[in-house]
This record gives sequence, C-alpha cells and structure tokens, in this order.
Amino acid sequence: MLLELKDIRKTFGGVTALRSGNLSVKPGEVHLLMGENGAGKSTLMKIVAGMYQPDGGEIRWNGQPVQFANPAQAASAGIAMVHQESLLFPHLTVAENIYLGRTGSGPFVSRRQMLDNARKLIEDQRFPLQADWLVSKLSPAGKQMVEICRAVSLGSSLLIFDEPTSSLSESETREVFRIVKNLRDRGMGVIYITHRLEELRTVGDHVTVLRDGATVHSSPLAELDTQGLIRHMVGREVAALYSRTPVPPGEPLLVIENLCRKPLLQNINLTVRAGEIVGMAGLVGAGRTELCRAIFGVDQRDSGSIAVCGQPVKASEPREAVQSGVALITEDRQKTGLATQLSIACNVTMANLDSISSYGTLDLKREKTMTSGYQEKLRIKMNAPTQLAGRLSGGNQQKVVISKWLATGAKVFLFDEPTRGIDVGAKVEVFQVMDELARNGAAILMVSSELPEIQQVADRIVVMRQGRISGELPGGASQEDIMRLAVFETESGRMPGEDEGTIQ
Amino acid sequence: MLQRLLPFLTLITLFVSLSIATPNFLTHLNLSTVVRQTAVINIIALGMTLIIVTSGIDLSVGAILALSGFLGAKAMEAGYSIPMAILIGLTVGTTCGLINGFLITRLKINPFIVTLGMLGVIRGMTLTISNGLPASGVPEGFSFLATGTLLGLPLVLWILVVCAVAMHFVLEYTKLGRYAFAIGSNPDAAYYAGVPVSFHLTFVYAIAGLLTGLAAMIEASRLMTGQPTAGQGYELQAIAAVVIGGGSLRGGEGTVLGTLIGAFIMGLLSNGSDLLGINPYLQQTLIGLAIIVAVTLDELRKRRLPK
Repeated sequence: MLLELKDIRKTFGGVTALRSGNLSVKPGEVHLLMGENGAGKSTLMKIVAGMYQPDGGEIRWNGQPVQFANPAQAASAGIAMVHQESLLFPHLTVAENIYLGRTGSGPFVSRRQMLDNARKLIEDQRFPLQADWLVSKLSPAGKQMVEICRAVSLGSSLLIFDEPTSSLSESETREVFRIVKNLRDRGMGVIYITHRLEELRTVGDHVTVLRDGATVHSSPLAELDTQGLIRHMVGREVAALYSRTPVPPGEPLLVIENLCRKPLLQNINLTVRAGEIVGMAGLVGAGRTELCRAIFGVDQRDSGSIAVCGQPVKASEPREAVQSGVALITEDRQKTGLATQLSIACNVTMANLDSISSYGTLDLKREKTMTSGYQEKLRIKMNAPTQLAGRLSGGNQQKVVISKWLATGAKVFLFDEPTRGIDVGAKVEVFQVMDELARNGAAILMVSSELPEIQQVADRIVVMRQGRISGELPGGASQEDIMRLAVFETESGRMPGEDEGTIQ
Repeated sequence: MLQRLLPFLTLITLFVSLSIATPNFLTHLNLSTVVRQTAVINIIALGMTLIIVTSGIDLSVGAILALSGFLGAKAMEAGYSIPMAILIGLTVGTTCGLINGFLITRLKINPFIVTLGMLGVIRGMTLTISNGLPASGVPEGFSFLATGTLLGLPLVLWILVVCAVAMHFVLEYTKLGRYAFAIGSNPDAAYYAGVPVSFHLTFVYAIAGLLTGLAAMIEASRLMTGQPTAGQGYELQAIAAVVIGGGSLRGGEGTVLGTLIGAFIMGLLSNGSDLLGINPYLQQTLIGLAIIVAVTLDELRKRRLPK
C-alpha cells in the first residue's frame, strides 16, 4: 500500500469534521473519494497533505507510520495536492509557480534555467501552456495544469485532486482525465475527490465513500452501480435525479435582440417566456457568463436591446436590473453571491431591504420571520437566521442566495452554473426550486456545463459557441447533438481551431 | 463566548486593579477626568467603527479635527455665537468626510490612500490659513461644552452616550448600517444585489466627518483655543479603539459597545500609568502592546472555528 489511513479523527472547535476516516491507496491506482459536501473529504485530504494535523488515528506512508507537521513535510515525502481553489501566485509566471521555493541554493534565481526546465516539463505533459505566461491570465484549467506540473516536478508519488473538474468545461474535463490516466500509467497513486457521478466511470479504479465524517464504503468501482453509490453517499434512496413538469409557456419575459458586446458577444437573439426553463450549453469561454453579465448590467452592451417583462431596460448597472425584476445567481457564490461573514437573515434580505424597512429603519422581527419562511420553503439546513451564512454547506449556501432573489419578487432568473460545488441531494432540491419557480410563471435561463443537468432540466436548449448562439435544440436532446453545436461550426460541420480540439 | 467577552473582562480587571492599586483612582474627580480625556477619541472612534465595518479606513480624522476646531474657534473670535460656531465646526467636519467619500467612490481609489492624502491636504491647509497660530479669542462660556456637568455627570459623557446609542441604532437597525456590513463583508455581492454602494459609502464617510467635527468642538472647548496642530495621531488611537473592541480591518465586523470598551481600555491604561507614576513615554508602549494582544486573541478565536 502506498497510503493507509486508519480511523482518522479531527474536530474544529466543537464541530466534528471526521469521526473515522479510512482509506487505502495502491500505487498506479485512481482512487475516487466521494461524499456529500461536509462529509469530510477535503478535511481528510488536507490531513494527508499536512495542512491539518489529525486528533487521532494512524497514517501509514509506504508501510511506515508518519506524521506530517506541515505541507512541506508531506510534499518532501511525495504527496502533492491540486486544489479546488487555486493556491498559485497570480502575479508570477507559470515557470516561477512551478519552481517556487526550489530555485537552487543561494539568493539568486537563474531565470533562464528555470524557464527551460518548465518548458521541458510542459512539453512532456503535452499541456497548452507557455512557461513565461502570467498565471493570473490562465483559465481554471490552465491553473490546474500548473499545479500538476509542480507536483510532477517535485517527484511526487501520490497526487490528490480536490474536485478538479468543478470549474472546467466538458473538453477541459476530458483533458484532466487524460492527464490523470497518464499519471496512473506512470505508477503514481491518484486520489480524486469528485461530486460528479457521471464522470467517474471513465477514470476510477477504486472508490471510497465518506458520509458524516466516516468511511461507509470502499470497493473496486466496478462492483458498485450508480444507485448504490448515491445510497451510500446520502444514506437513503434517491429515486430519479430529477424530473421536470413542463407548463405551457406564457408571455415573453426576457427578450434580447441583436445584443453585441466587444470582444466576445455577437448578435445575440434570445427570448425566454414565463414558465420556461431555457438551458444554455457551451464550452467555457463561449460567452454564456458574459451574456448573463450583460443582461444583468454588470457589463455594458455596445448595441442591441433587452426587454424585461415587456419593458425595455438600459441594464446599465445591477441595481437597475434588480429593480426591473431580474435575478442573477452567479457562478462564483463566494465572490459575488454570498456575504459569508454575515448572518443568513442579512443575506436573505440584502437585495430587498425595503420590504422590511420603513423610513430607513429595519424591522428585524419581520426579517426573521421571512428568513424562517424561506428556510421552510427551500428546506435550508440551518440552526437560526442569525447563523453566519459561511458556516452552511455549499448546497444550503446556494439556497440562501436563491432566497435572496425570491425575496425581490424577480420574474426573470439567470442561473449561472447553479449546482457548482454542491452535493447530489442539494442539486435535486435546487432543480425543484427552479421547477416550482417556472410553474409559478418565472422565466428561467440556466447556464450549465453539466450536460446531463441541461438534458434533464431544460425545456429548450440554446447552445453558444465563441460569443454567438450556434443553435437551439428541444429539451432532452442528446449530448452528442449539444456538443456538436458547442464545438463545431453549425453549417459546415468542420472542426474549429486547434485549441478546442481536445474532444475525442 | 468567553473570548468574545475578553475586551469587557479586561476593562473590568483593569478597573478593579487600579481601584486597589491607587486610592486616587476611584474618585469622582479622576473618573470625570478619564471620561473627559477619552470622550474626544471615543466620539471619533464611533465614526471610525462605521467606516471599518465597510472595510474602509480614515486616516484624516486627526487633521479634520484640527481644521474644524480651528475654524469653529476662529468663528467665535470673529464674533459669531457659540451655537453658530459649533454648527460651523460640524459643517466643516461633514464636508471633509463628504470629500473623502466622494474621492473614494467616484475615483475608486483605496480609502487608505485617499485619506492619507487628505490627511496631508487638510493638515497643511489648517496650518496655512492659521499661519501656525491658534485661534484663542474664545468666549468664557464655551468651556461649558468640555467641562460642564448635567445632572451631576460630565456633559461630554451625555454627548458620548447619545452618539453611541445613535450609532448603535444606525449599525443594527437601519438600512445604512446593514448596507455598511454588506459592503464590508462582500462588496461584489452587495453590488450584484443592487445595493447603492457609492451612495452609502459616501454617507458613511460624511457621518464620520460629522462626529469628528463634534469631537473637534469638544477638544477646542477643552483647550479653549482652536489649535491648528490639534489631533495629531488621533486617527491611530481611534482605529486602535475599534480594533481592540473586536472590529476587523477586513470589514464586516464591529460593534459600538466593543469600540467604547476599546477606547476606555486605552483611557484607563493611560490614566492608570499617570496615577502610578509610570513614565509617560512607556504608556505608548503599553497601548501598543494592548493592540497587538487584543488582535492576536481575536485571530486565535476565529482560527479555532471551522471555515
């Protein structure tokens, strides 16, 4: 065994994160670590990587009991971690990030040698990177490639991926799988934390499931079907992932005509009607998020028109969009969705303080009732409205964000990657909320990079490619049809530039 | 929970130990002195609390205090009535705060930089118009503001209590206060939620300016002159009071009660050192250490909690 974890325990303050973490990884194996948010996966891996010290239990590395007091010790033993949120230095180059802290003895850095080494390494991995690029200019996928290069250059024998594909597009995901397989074939052990059921079959050898801080299952992946896996993860049966009850569409609530914004968005025409959920697919960088931002007034459009509920809007700033009845559930909850240090109640009323205030004075009792109402309605798992929003799990945080927009009485909802980083159970509930919103007459535009999600939830599927709408498909269209529109030219069907050619 | 109460326990401990250590501490006269000495910093710190909650900072309050106090005193010298002079002081302070807020929100420059610049601008302006000389033609009656009593307690204590209650109300029960927390905790999320960020930020700096103007008139009354060099280093004392009281420079945190406790801890440290005959130069070291200890304890408390 490369790595053995026995009965690992860890508490933070009074909160138990791990009760009994068990895991064994062989060399040359891709080991999937699964579980809902808050199950303890990240804590367990941070213990392996030396970022936390366990309160109890045993860690064996190549058969020897070990204790890592800090990440540097784990790294020198050969354990590296690719993080969910990049821990790179954005203002340094790719090469500098790869070799940081290992630039040879003495106070001086040989820039040329470092660049040469980095170039060799990148070529070796066949990554589309340049050694002298600034990391701040890289996509999330590019940043992960830099972290992988760093791990490989350290001579690591165990690589931990913490949800590597949660921020990646379909094609980038496949690229990560190729890399993972490549690393495995070289005899490295790989631990791979993931939420996404549909992608694991292609990469995993073995699977371990954590639930409520304890290992509840461990077996070769082939011995466990998806239903069984979900059962282990949530501790109950989940019948179908999701099913939608479509209603006949009503008035057009969001009408976009000839919208352009340099450099990306070109001639966008899109209508979303009351009661409709329109799915928007496309590769990362196709302009889906940019379109949401332009509709919401975060970015100003160069030309074209936007009408909400029949009224033309300038969309010059979010404030105007909010007042005209548009809600944007952004893809980056931590950055633009939630005030994590503030209470749940503060977050729920943030976009519509007027509803609980008169003459600038807040009615806190009303705020509390309102929050409890949404808690019940969206089944938010929380202790009290005064609890800090940042203490909730990802799924419940997302529900708080949705509550905030429900409180504004918005009619047009833009969901940008609404299920990113949230667990299976919560995903289903987010979809149920969307379904209910639509049935009550809201118009919903849902951007998602997870095709099964779009297939199951959307009534119509609009596909974007390189800043244009490349086509429209009925709900339930096949993944192949969607990907064709997302990747290829619509008419000629030929492959676009080399940079997108990673789809097999 | 215990650590949340720590500033309060520190204040009590300090109070009790000083009462035991020296017979001169627990007297009406001395306690009134402490209140009068700390009131000015305390009132400025209330405005600073609001600013720090928005994750901003105001380094120019000491300079604003000097300008407002000088112009207020100058008005009395020129024959204006005392209420009129006080009004002038408040207006000058508010205007300076508005300018700060305006520069921060319109030019989108970091508050640290803006107020550092304004510190120089305002201080230099005060020295220029005064030629470095204080305005001293202040009527006798003006001393009432700083030294007067109401119902047996110093008038400044009443003023402080009214300001503190008002600021507490603003922070906890008004849209302005709530938006301040939202902006300080996550400015992007606030902007996306349609919060009028620029308007409220400007308002926040104006309120801090108004409170500084009030503190300036109390200081002028205490000194019975308008000193163009008054208020040097007050900005740091005000920031220290907020931070000792549990406010976070990262924004989104801060309470009026905490700030009051923070200011009084510093006041007692200073007063106690005087009474115990500790070298006044050493007092600065003591207060400096108090800041570091307070912030360290607060950080430790936060680190023990899971993310």
